[in-house]
Amino acid sequence: MKKIIIASLILSSALFSADHVIDQKGKTFIPHAISVAVGDTLTFKNSDPFAHNAYTDNEANEFDIGMQAPGKDISAKVKAAGVFNVECAIHPNMLLEVTAK
Amino acid sequence: MIVKLGLKMILVGMMASSLQATEDMSKWLRPAEVPQPKDNKLTPERIELGKLLYFDVRLSSSEKISCATCHHPKQGWSDLVPTPKAVGHEGAVGPRNSPVVLNTAYQNRQFWDGRARTLEEQALGPIEADVEMNMSLDELIPKLNGIKGYVALFEKAYPGEGLTEATLAKAIASFERTVVSTISPFDKYAMGKKDAISKKAKKGFELFKGKAHCIDCHDGFNFSDGSFHNIGLRDGELQGKELGRYLTKRRAAWYGVMKTPTLRDATKSAPYFHDGSAGTLHEVAHICGNGGRYKHNVKNKSTFMIDRELTKQEISDIVSFVESLTGPDMKLDIPTKFPQ
Repeated sequence: MKKIIIASLILSSALFSADHVIDQKGKTFIPHAISVAVGDTLTFKNSDPFAHNAYTDNEANEFDIGMQAPGKDISAKVKAAGVFNVECAIHPNMLLEVTAK
Repeated sequence: MIVKLGLKMILVGMMASSLQATEDMSKWLRPAEVPQPKDNKLTPERIELGKLLYFDVRLSSSEKISCATCHHPKQGWSDLVPTPKAVGHEGAVGPRNSPVVLNTAYQNRQFWDGRARTLEEQALGPIEADVEMNMSLDELIPKLNGIKGYVALFEKAYPGEGLTEATLAKAIASFERTVVSTISPFDKYAMGKKDAISKKAKKGFELFKGKAHCIDCHDGFNFSDGSFHNIGLRDGELQGKELGRYLTKRRAAWYGVMKTPTLRDATKSAPYFHDGSAGTLHEVAHICGNGGRYKHNVKNKSTFMIDRELTKQEISDIVSFVESLTGPDMKLDIPTKFPQ
């Protein structure tokens, strides 16, 4: 019974996790603030004609998607609850505030 | 002063939008408001205190160097005695060219390598650096607390907060936030005064936005988008401070990158680049417009650094445009008397 409950929880989490698309355009994250659930993914698009590099140094959610060429999509998973900032390693004026619940 | 400048810039924006119908020129005009942190809003008391501290040589261990020694208003907020690399405590040569303080209030990262996020975080670094002011904060705070005039001014500026490292940083940052660009001939042109800059400078502006791609990094009113790039001033493996932002964290995108400097008032702050390796704006335009000093074997070179095949005439036009970004010095009474 316990195994069934755990399996159901894992399955439902996989079924209900959402994908949030964040565009990078005009050296701006669009949107610049977003609310998500733990387990969701952030998919970064790059609509600019040059590279971006989204990352966060938030300990619980740390990721660095690396150099992202124009037109390429790269995803990162939200691992823990909290409010954290995502920045572009090349363009520090780009800020995305993520609220994860 | 800030309010007056702000009103001017709003008027400028209105004129720009009405007179330059074909191109939105407002993006080139300095925003009316200077960003300020919630816990350190600008007040006349804070600005005045910060100004005294900024010019006071007693903040250095030798009592010969102030913040202004390397960031002086008479030299475009860079070295009072222009040198490729900053000269500090007892003639020690620092690892980099002094960055200008102008418009740093608008930047999200401070220092060439962006290691400080705010002006408050930045303000105390040079005081303690052994090649700059070489003054331990453990010595400086009691020293300043022994100067009655300063204790009184801190109490006025930051009531109940005391004279501490935090309030020292806040006061210096407050003054630095007032160091903003004035209205240059280009700003007047952007307002709609078509004869404010020469035909040559206008050609340069078009090249700047077009063929030369300067705008890829030098974008916005400050002619810097605050981004970080390795523009290929050196080839091969980089050492020490040449590693730039990579020193703050070993992130691949940060290898050898430095912050894009503002071009406003650039005519006042030669030499150029983080290593002071270019003496003139012509040299800068030639290097940046033609793919960097080194074309090959540059690790993590910016993808913007492409040989744009600029002619001498085109480089000269771009320099004329950059020269049009120089405005009059901001009004400032440099203090000659300090609290006792």
